[in-house]
Amino acid sequence: MVQQMTVLMETKPQPMVAAAAAASGATKIYGSGDTEVTALANVDVRFDVGRMTAIMGPSGSGKSTLMQCMAGLDRLSSGQVHIGGTDLSSLNERELTRLRRDRVGFIFQAFNLIPTLSAIENITLPMDLAGTKPDQQWLDHVIGTVGLGDRLRHRPSELSGGQQQRVAVARALASQPEIIFADEPTGNLDSRTGGEILAFMASAVVDLGQTIVMVTHDPVAASYADRVVFLADGRIAGEINNPTADSVLDRMRGLGD
Amino acid sequence: MLRLTLKNLAANRIRLAMTTFAVILAVAFVVSSFVLTDGLRSSFGDLSQDIVAGTDLELRPVEEFGEAGLLPEPVLDDVAAIDGVAAAAPVYVAENSIRPINSEGQEISSSGPPQISFGWVDDARLNTFTVVEGEPPASAGEFSMDLDAAASHGFAVGETYNIVTPTGRTEATLTGLTRFGENNDTLGATLMQFNLADLQAMVGEEGYDSIAVALTSDADKAAVEAAMLAISPATEVVDQATLESEQRASFNEGIDIIGNILLGFAGISLFVSTFIIYNTFSIVLGQRTRELALLRTVGADPVQLRRSVRIEALMIGIVASAVGIIAGIGVALGLRELFGLLGAELPESPIVISLRTVLVAAAVGIGVTLISAVGPARKAAKVSPIAALRDGVDAGAVSGRLRMLLGSLLSIVGLGAGAVGLFVASGTANIILMLAVGSISVFVGVTMLSPVVATPLTGLMGWPLRSTMGMSGQLAQQNAGRNPQRTATTAAALMIGLALVAMTFTVGESVKAQLRSTLESSVKADYLAIDDSGGGSPFPTEVKDRFVASSATDVVTSFRYDDVMVDGEIRDALGTDFAATDVLFDLGIDQGVGVDPTVEHPLMVSDEEALASGIEVGDVVAMTFASGEARDMTVIAIYTDDIVAEEPFMVDLHTWNEVGAAPTDMWLAIALAEGVTGDQADAAFAPIGTDFPQVEISTANAYVERAAASIDQALATVNVMVALAVIIALIGIANTLALSVFERTRELGLLRAVGMTRRQLRRMVRLEAALVALFGAILGVGLGVLFGWAAVVALPASVTSTLSVPVTRILVLVGVAGAAGLVAAFGPARRASKLNVLDAISG
Repeated sequence: MVQQMTVLMETKPQPMVAAAAAASGATKIYGSGDTEVTALANVDVRFDVGRMTAIMGPSGSGKSTLMQCMAGLDRLSSGQVHIGGTDLSSLNERELTRLRRDRVGFIFQAFNLIPTLSAIENITLPMDLAGTKPDQQWLDHVIGTVGLGDRLRHRPSELSGGQQQRVAVARALASQPEIIFADEPTGNLDSRTGGEILAFMASAVVDLGQTIVMVTHDPVAASYADRVVFLADGRIAGEINNPTADSVLDRMRGLGD
Repeated sequence: MLRLTLKNLAANRIRLAMTTFAVILAVAFVVSSFVLTDGLRSSFGDLSQDIVAGTDLELRPVEEFGEAGLLPEPVLDDVAAIDGVAAAAPVYVAENSIRPINSEGQEISSSGPPQISFGWVDDARLNTFTVVEGEPPASAGEFSMDLDAAASHGFAVGETYNIVTPTGRTEATLTGLTRFGENNDTLGATLMQFNLADLQAMVGEEGYDSIAVALTSDADKAAVEAAMLAISPATEVVDQATLESEQRASFNEGIDIIGNILLGFAGISLFVSTFIIYNTFSIVLGQRTRELALLRTVGADPVQLRRSVRIEALMIGIVASAVGIIAGIGVALGLRELFGLLGAELPESPIVISLRTVLVAAAVGIGVTLISAVGPARKAAKVSPIAALRDGVDAGAVSGRLRMLLGSLLSIVGLGAGAVGLFVASGTANIILMLAVGSISVFVGVTMLSPVVATPLTGLMGWPLRSTMGMSGQLAQQNAGRNPQRTATTAAALMIGLALVAMTFTVGESVKAQLRSTLESSVKADYLAIDDSGGGSPFPTEVKDRFVASSATDVVTSFRYDDVMVDGEIRDALGTDFAATDVLFDLGIDQGVGVDPTVEHPLMVSDEEALASGIEVGDVVAMTFASGEARDMTVIAIYTDDIVAEEPFMVDLHTWNEVGAAPTDMWLAIALAEGVTGDQADAAFAPIGTDFPQVEISTANAYVERAAASIDQALATVNVMVALAVIIALIGIANTLALSVFERTRELGLLRAVGMTRRQLRRMVRLEAALVALFGAILGVGLGVLFGWAAVVALPASVTSTLSVPVTRILVLVGVAGAAGLVAAFGPARRASKLNVLDAISG
């Protein structure tokens, strides 16, 4: 009960820190009538600038739906999502695409890269689509951090799984988006390689001030985040600041995963 | 396993539809060519029956050389006197040479169905015509016409019309309308009847083509035959059945040509379709590799997998053939309209669907589909169970080296066969067979080789796209190059179509170039006068006299054609005024002189003939003319020209007239008098044109340009047919892209997620299609020019011997192909851009 209270208090809007993204009353319903499924039920959540937030929850809790709606990949049935000061529900399809291209970065679990493009071309893809020149200094910095070295000219098929995910992270960072959404970014990797990727993402938050929202079901992955938000049955079911793998695991057990 | 196959088919309806569509088109084309030719055969068969109805026996000359081709007139009475002959009638027919002019001053077009004039036969049994209005032509200056032609060309009973004949101009009154056979099935021909003696006089001939005989009911046919044969030497007697089958055979010859041309194009469509069906099967099975591997892991053996693919192909073949047969009937009707629009109208004929048509169509449709599936089925069987566990593996392809080897081998064999066909083989059927085998081998060979160049070439072509179209262009270029084998096979279909178009362009251009260069180098005449059927029917000498009399002309020469006999062989000879022709043409005389007044009977011989028979200047050649007169001709020159004078022999008009060779002119060449302008000449010649509407008078330049235009028209007809193959090829491109889009769903989803707009995505897909099309087009025009060159080498020098490549046209062709690629990808691009991003990335 006490825990519930603190959750409620902490999830209240905190005007002191700027929100990179926020959802209010976010509801997503699939189907209709007998087949109606509520994926998100009136979710209020905000993600602070310069922090890495993990979204956790059991399968079917709505965590991926929440991420997709917040990233402009899907639309809410009702409620609002803001990225920066922009209300996504007010954008048409083309404006949403532009928003994804210019203001959001993505890291997916697998199939993150276009097979016909080299690593470096994949990294600059969003900017090439926009027809804008990347900030060369920043790009060099990001590439230097990725540490791919001479493999930059290689095609994805010539890179290992870990290297591919590094390229994906680099692509997300390269355009300096307001926020990066990562969907199980280490789901396909062994734990050591996964750890490297997560450390790399965390360093981007610390060193580069990047905002990252990551969906995961791995408590170890979640422990790299500054804050973990739990979802169950389409509702916010609590959160932990400065999580450890154990504290996350404890809370997950409570959610019945 | 069978159930799985069927479920697979049902589950991929769009894919199925696209595969079947290619087969349907090919089958439909085969069916339509059969339906059209069968229809024509049936109506001409009826016509043959009508033509010979009533005639029991016919007496006709055997040899067809000059006047020996006509029966002397007294024979008629001898035949009529034979015991058992109920009636004997002289048969005399003139085709296209008697030309009536209607009251509006127009003659019946000479390029359409024939105009046939018959000598009127009084005996009703032997007359195929029945008078339906007015009176038959009883005396000179009268004629009758079949009722349909009279109605459609505006001739009315009782009116008097001008009539142009080989011997001059005359007038005749239309006394009646007639019906041919039972229903006047003339297939568009104009049938006229004249008093027999009048008709002979108009043409300028004596004698009969043949004598038709009706027997009495108790006649001894064999005895009558023998009696008829005994009357005159060099004659034969044929009965009704023979006459009818001869008639039918002569019609069928023409119908077969049309039928074979149509079948040829159907074959091309079929060939193109094979590539598309093969490609579709390959891609679809590639995409199903994991599914096939899964089947292997759960226990399906390779034989079962192979069988499953074959059954799928069989099903597609059966369905597509059935639909294709029905569609073919529609195509047949459409083609007939199309021919009409192109000015090559086919006669009305019933729709005939024979069992043969259905069987051949089904065999072709199912066969082509099964053959196309052989390779993919083998690949499917080779899928290893482990492939189920791997991501995005392609089913094992034929190794690069083997493909290169096979491709090179096929190309070389193809070129060899082509060379044999062009330079060694004899007989049209053999030549066509070798050329067909050759070109098919080359096409398949080049297709097998082309994957090697697909990636670099699309990269090169895509270069401008990268800089102008940004990321869409770059991705399009890379997508076009990422699966070279697929790109190559897809492009192959277009390559074939465009190779044929480029070849016809090249040949046409070369022929035109030759025409123009001939005009420049060897024609010094200012004006030409040629009959409007293009040299088919001679006109009276009065025309030449009028030109000679005109003060606008300086030199006029005429050309006449007739058969002559040299060394016991019938040969072609050209009669012309040597002195005038020497002034107006450069015949390329390389030995002797064009005019030698000291020789009484001068002869010029073509260089080919001189080489073949060892004739030299100064030799004496014994020549018999069609009139039966013979002369010893002295060779005064050997000429190399083979365009103005294609014939082996040229005889001076003086000798020509003396021996009574063909007295009418085929064409005239005219040099204007000093200082006469074109306008003045036109004005001076206009009255001649009015009086002889069948003679077209134009400057030599205009004549050449008209000939060039008619070549273009012929090319257009060919290209319309090839267009069908090109359309099939474009459908193939659309098909491949639709499948590629399906295959790349996740990739497209990712692109959309990271910010590619729908418009960029559509553009990417369309540009890929354009690149594939351009790739095919470039290979195609390359091969086409090569084939065109081979054709120019193989064609007789009188047609063309100088290769001229229509660069602009070919560039336009390539551009159009690229644009057509953009259009073909409309559907796939739309589908790609409509992809739900979420489905795509989480699929």
